[in-house]
Amino acid sequence: MRTSPGLALMAAAAAACGGDDGGGDGVDLSRPVVVDVDAPPFERLSQYNLFAWDPATGFTFNPVDDRVAAYDLNAQLFSDYALKQRAIYVPPGATMPFDPELAFELPVGSVILKNFAFAADFRAPTQDVTLIETRLLIRYADGWRPAPYIWDETQADAVYAPAGEVRAISFVDDAGQARTSNYLVPQRNQCETCHARKPSADADPEMVPIGVKARHLNRTYDYGGAVGVVNQLDRLTTLGLLAGAPPSASVPAAYDFRPIEQGGVAAIPPADVDAAARSYLDINCAHCHDPNGVQGITSQLFLGHDNTDLFRLGYCKRPGSAGPGTGGFEFDIVPGSPDTSILYFRLHTEDVGAMMPLLGRSLSHTRGSELVHAWIAAMPPDDCTGQP
Amino acid sequence: MMNRRFVVASILCGLTVGVLAACGEDEFPTNSCADVSTTCVQIGGGDVTTLQTTANTVEPNTTIILGAGRFAMTNSLTIRTAGIHLIGQGIDRTTLDYGEATAQVNGVDVQGDDFLVQDLTVLDAPKDGIRVEDSDGVVFRRIRAAWTEISDSTNGAYGIYPVKSQHVLVEDSRAENASDAGLYVGQCQHVIVRNNVVTGNVAGLEIENTQYADVYGNLAEDNTAGIVVFDLPGNPIVGRDVRLRDNIIRRNNHINFAPGGTVAVIPVGTGTFAMASRRVEITNNTYEANDTGDIALLSGLVVESDEARWELATATLAGTWNDLGLGAGATAGTITNFRSENIVVAGNTHTGSGLHPDLADPMMFGVLLILTYATNPVDSVLYDSIGEPMFHSTDAAMNTNDNHICVGGNTGGTFASMKLEDQSASNVVPFFRPAAPFAPYNCSTLTGGPVAEVVLP
Repeated sequence: MRTSPGLALMAAAAAACGGDDGGGDGVDLSRPVVVDVDAPPFERLSQYNLFAWDPATGFTFNPVDDRVAAYDLNAQLFSDYALKQRAIYVPPGATMPFDPELAFELPVGSVILKNFAFAADFRAPTQDVTLIETRLLIRYADGWRPAPYIWDETQADAVYAPAGEVRAISFVDDAGQARTSNYLVPQRNQCETCHARKPSADADPEMVPIGVKARHLNRTYDYGGAVGVVNQLDRLTTLGLLAGAPPSASVPAAYDFRPIEQGGVAAIPPADVDAAARSYLDINCAHCHDPNGVQGITSQLFLGHDNTDLFRLGYCKRPGSAGPGTGGFEFDIVPGSPDTSILYFRLHTEDVGAMMPLLGRSLSHTRGSELVHAWIAAMPPDDCTGQP
Repeated sequence: MMNRRFVVASILCGLTVGVLAACGEDEFPTNSCADVSTTCVQIGGGDVTTLQTTANTVEPNTTIILGAGRFAMTNSLTIRTAGIHLIGQGIDRTTLDYGEATAQVNGVDVQGDDFLVQDLTVLDAPKDGIRVEDSDGVVFRRIRAAWTEISDSTNGAYGIYPVKSQHVLVEDSRAENASDAGLYVGQCQHVIVRNNVVTGNVAGLEIENTQYADVYGNLAEDNTAGIVVFDLPGNPIVGRDVRLRDNIIRRNNHINFAPGGTVAVIPVGTGTFAMASRRVEITNNTYEANDTGDIALLSGLVVESDEARWELATATLAGTWNDLGLGAGATAGTITNFRSENIVVAGNTHTGSGLHPDLADPMMFGVLLILTYATNPVDSVLYDSIGEPMFHSTDAAMNTNDNHICVGGNTGGTFASMKLEDQSASNVVPFFRPAAPFAPYNCSTLTGGPVAEVVLP
C-alpha cells in the first residue's frame, strides 16, 4: 500500500505515544550525516546524525568530512528571546554558489538547521538551557521542504512534529524581569508564512531560506579548537561548502546587532542608527515586506535593506488594509514621531491582531523596539500633511 | 474505492484508539467517510493533535470528517493542499473553539483549490474566522463563524472570508459579531452568496472589489450596516455585475464597534450602500427599520477624495473591464473606479426605516439627514449626485443622470438625490425629492443588459 494520510497518522500517533520506531540508536558523530531526499522526513531528529546536544556542554556538530558548519547572523529574527544555534549541511562533493544579494542556492541533499532554546535566566544564558524545537529546511530535488522537530522532556531527542505546538515558556530576561512567552512552534504549513517568496511578480511562490545570505553571514564566528575566530564566509569557502565568494572584506555586511542587544542604542554611535535599524527591519520584516514577498505585498511597504524609495519604506504612507493594526494612527512612519507611527506600533505592541511579524512573536523585543524608535525619532520631522 | 476508504478509516480507529477520544458511531451522526468516494479520514471530536497532524501532512483530494465535539484550538487550522473537504457534524455539534488561542492567527486558514467547509462552527478566532485565499472552487456550506462577545472591538475582523478566489459558493451559513464584516467576499470572481444569516457584525455582508456576484435569500439583521457593495481604491479587480435580490435587510442598528478601517465610518442604521460600484442590481429585497436609511448610492470619493489614489494601470486590471466605460485617470494608461454608475434599484419593499439617523457617525452624514428631514423619515433611496454635471433641488429637468442610476417600482420606496459635495452643517443644500417615477432617474434597465446568472462549475 502506498503512503497514505492514514499511515502517516498512525506513525505520528505511535511516535506521540513514545513507541520505539526503530530510529532510537542515537547520534554517532563518527558516522556521516544522513539525508534521504527520496523519503519523507525522519521521525526522529537523531536519525539525521547532524549534531549532538548535551545540556552541560552544548552542541557538537558532525565533524565527518567537515560538511556541517555552525553559523550566526549579524542581525537575527526575533523569536520571543529564544536562543538560536544554526548550522548548515552541504553534502560531500557539492557546493553552494555565492550570491551577493539573495539567499544562497544550496544543492539537493543540503540541510539548514536552527535550534531554539530558552535559558531559565538570560543573565546566565548558558546555564539551565532547555531545547524546545529544531527546524530543518531540507533541499529536495523539487525545492525546500520544512521539517519541524520538538524536543522531548528528557532532552535526548526530538520528534517530527508537523502539527507544531503552542507552549507557555517562562524565563527571566537579561534585565531581570520575569517574562512568559506564548511560544509558537509553527506547524508545517505555517513555515511558508515567512519562507515563501515569488521568484518574479507573476510566478508561483517557492520556499526559500532567509538568513543564508552574504550580508547576514559576513561576520566572525568562534569555531573553537584550532580554527578559532574566523569570518564565516571565509570559513565556508575554506571548507569547500561555498564557491565563488570574493574575500569577505569586500562583501557588504549587515549591521551587527549584538552591541545593541547588550547595551541598547546608546552602545552604538548615533550615525550608525540608520544602518542598524535598516538591518534589523531587513532580517525581521523583508521576507514578507518585499516586492517579491507573498504575505506583505498588499501593504506596498517594502523594508528590504536595499529599498531607497522612502514612500514605500513608509514615510507618510497610509497602510494598505491594516484594520485593527493601525493603533489608531494614520501613517506607517511619521518622520520624527515614532509614537504616532504605525510601523513602530505594530513592531512593539503585544496586542493580538496588531502585532508584527504575523507569527513568532508574543513579546515585545525591548532592544529592537528601542532601535526602531530611535531611528524614526532621528528622522527630519514631517507631520505628513503635505505642507512644507 | 468503496473498500479502500473504509480500510483507511477503520485502521485509524483501531490503531489509535488510545489517542482518539472514541470512534463510535455517535461521534459521526451526520457525516462520515461512508458518505464520500474520495480518500477520507475521520477524526474524533476534540482530537486537536490528530487534526493538526492531518492538516499538515494530508494528501491532495482528501476529505477530513470531524466528529461531534469541541476542538480546543491553540493555533490556526492551516490548509495548503488542493481538494480538501473539511466536514463536521453540524453547526451545533462540531466546534473549532479558539477561545484559548494565544497565537495571532486566523481560525481556518486555507490556500488550495477545490476547498469545501461544511457543518461546523468556528468560534472566537484571534483574527479572521475562515479565510480562504487564492483558491479556485470554494464552498462554505452550513457553517458558522462567530465570536462570543457582543460588540467587542477585539473580536476578529472577518467571519467568513473568501478573498482573491474564483468560483465561490457561500450558503446556509451564519456570521456573528465580527468587528469588521461578518461575511466578506473580497477580490473574488464568480460568486454565489445565498440563504445566509448575518447578525451582530459591523458590516453584515460585504461584496468588495468583486466581479459577478449573485447575493440572494440572505437575512442581515442587527448589524451596523446590512449588505454593502463597494470598491476600495488601488485594487486591480474592478467590481462589476453584482446582484442583490430577495434578501431581508432589517433593524441594522447595531453600535459601530469597529476598531478602525473603512467600516468604522459607516453610520449606525444603514441598510445597503453601493459605493464606487457599477453594474449593480438591487431588487426585490425587503428593507425594514434601518434607522439611518435603507439604500445609499455613493461615489468612492466620499471615503477617498483624492482621485489620484483611484488610478489603476489598465495593464494590471483583472477580468473584463473595457466594456464598462471607466473614466480615464490623470496619469496616462490608467482608469479610475470611484464612480458609482449603471445601477438599478427596483421592486424592493421599504417599511419603517430612516427615523433615527446616526448623529455620531464621523462623516456627519446623519447630521445632514437630520437637518434635512427633522423627524420625518429619510427617503428610501439616496443618491449623492457626485459626478452629475447638473443638480437642482426642485426642477427635474435641471438634473442630469449621466451615471445611469435607475430607481423605481419599489413598495413604500421614496427617492432623493443631493448635492453632497456642496453640503456642510452651515449650508445645507435642499435635496431633490421627486415624486414617482423619479425622472430623470426613471430608467429601469442596466446599460449593457441585465446582470447574468452566475454559474458555478
